[in-house]
Amino acid sequence: MRIEGTHTLHAPRDRVWALLDDPQSLARCTPGMQELRPLGPEEFEAVLSIGIAAVRGTYKGKLRITERTPPERYAVQVEGTSGAGFVRAVGLLELVDRGPQTEVRWSGDVQVGGALTIGSRMIPGIARMLAGQFFQCLDEQLRNA
Amino acid sequence: MKPPVFEYCDPTTVEEAVDCLAERGEAAKVLAGGQSLLPLLNLRLARPDCLVDINRLDELDYLHEEAGWLRVGARVRQRRVEESEEVARRVPLLAEAVRYVGHPQIRNRGTVCGSLAHADPAAELPGVAVALGARLLVRSRLGTREIPAEQFFTGQLTTALRPDELLVEAQFPVFPAGWGWAFVEVTNRHGDYALCGVAAGVYVEDRRVRDVRLAYVGAGPTPVRLREVELAAVEDFRVAGEEARARLSPDGDLHASAEFRRHLAAVLTGRALRRAFERATGGEPHA
Repeated sequence: MRIEGTHTLHAPRDRVWALLDDPQSLARCTPGMQELRPLGPEEFEAVLSIGIAAVRGTYKGKLRITERTPPERYAVQVEGTSGAGFVRAVGLLELVDRGPQTEVRWSGDVQVGGALTIGSRMIPGIARMLAGQFFQCLDEQLRNA
Repeated sequence: MKPPVFEYCDPTTVEEAVDCLAERGEAAKVLAGGQSLLPLLNLRLARPDCLVDINRLDELDYLHEEAGWLRVGARVRQRRVEESEEVARRVPLLAEAVRYVGHPQIRNRGTVCGSLAHADPAAELPGVAVALGARLLVRSRLGTREIPAEQFFTGQLTTALRPDELLVEAQFPVFPAGWGWAFVEVTNRHGDYALCGVAAGVYVEDRRVRDVRLAYVGAGPTPVRLREVELAAVEDFRVAGEEARARLSPDGDLHASAEFRRHLAAVLTGRALRRAFERATGGEPHA
């Protein structure tokens, strides 16, 4: 499943990049993030609790940065498993310079397996909602900094 | 395929039920017919700490018309609505759409209010509620409030219900003579959730379309009524279909691409409108 979206953040690109490059702010803004532990400079182990309404699961997984071009783009690979199945995704994040603002374009290709497949038709909507929460949180941090 | 451990509340009155909900908050989930919740529990996609079973709430087992509204209590099974002559006569859109909910076995257990509270984006009954302008009556310890259907559905599987609130009744308005209604949908297999579904109402006077109501399911995170499409449909059914295609932005998934869903929305808009027109006029096809 391919999912994509764009968000506008109210800060210049360098500041947005610095925030996205900081594991702490990522952990703070990722919805449901319970733990984020660095395994190396480009690899993290994470525990996430995500879902909607009562349909919620705790996922353990790894996040690897596969490409990093400051301050323009980075690509990540995510793998997670829970009691209900697995999620694998590759994602790309691009920052477009808009002067005092930055446009973030994100896209991902998501695969799910196990019982989660049953809910697959909801995944694009959930991803969009979570991405919205994530970027809104980043934007608040940028405005308040 | 067994659910995780949960606490079980077995109230016999609405008061006890809302007490259970108030005490447990987000950790509790209401069990009505269980046709969505139990599979989610068994697959462990949902893990509520507590189930509040409302199957013993006899006081919510009513289906009757009062002052121009059909009132459906939270214990009423879909099958009862399907078999009711009163519903077929007074709220024909609900009677038609309920037959698309799963299969007879599912409708024997599943409830109308349960389907509304679950708020699956592709489910039929939320679309009916939005098309008709239904009202949802919810109770908590703090009292009762009424939520218009269009404000009730807030996202996929998400409603305006607070964790301490129980949906006790759905109220569907009875429309005057002159209105005709139709529900149409496309699924991969009979009984599946709709890839796209349309609920349509057409009001005809002197053989001319005077008013239209249209709601879509499976074409976004919630069922949605599109006023611009309704206005277009008063003039021209075909234009309305194109308007729907342009205004909806469904997601693509394993079952259907976004483009295919938009195509379905356009085609089904015309189909639903023509059928509703025929019913409004007693069989006269739309010119």
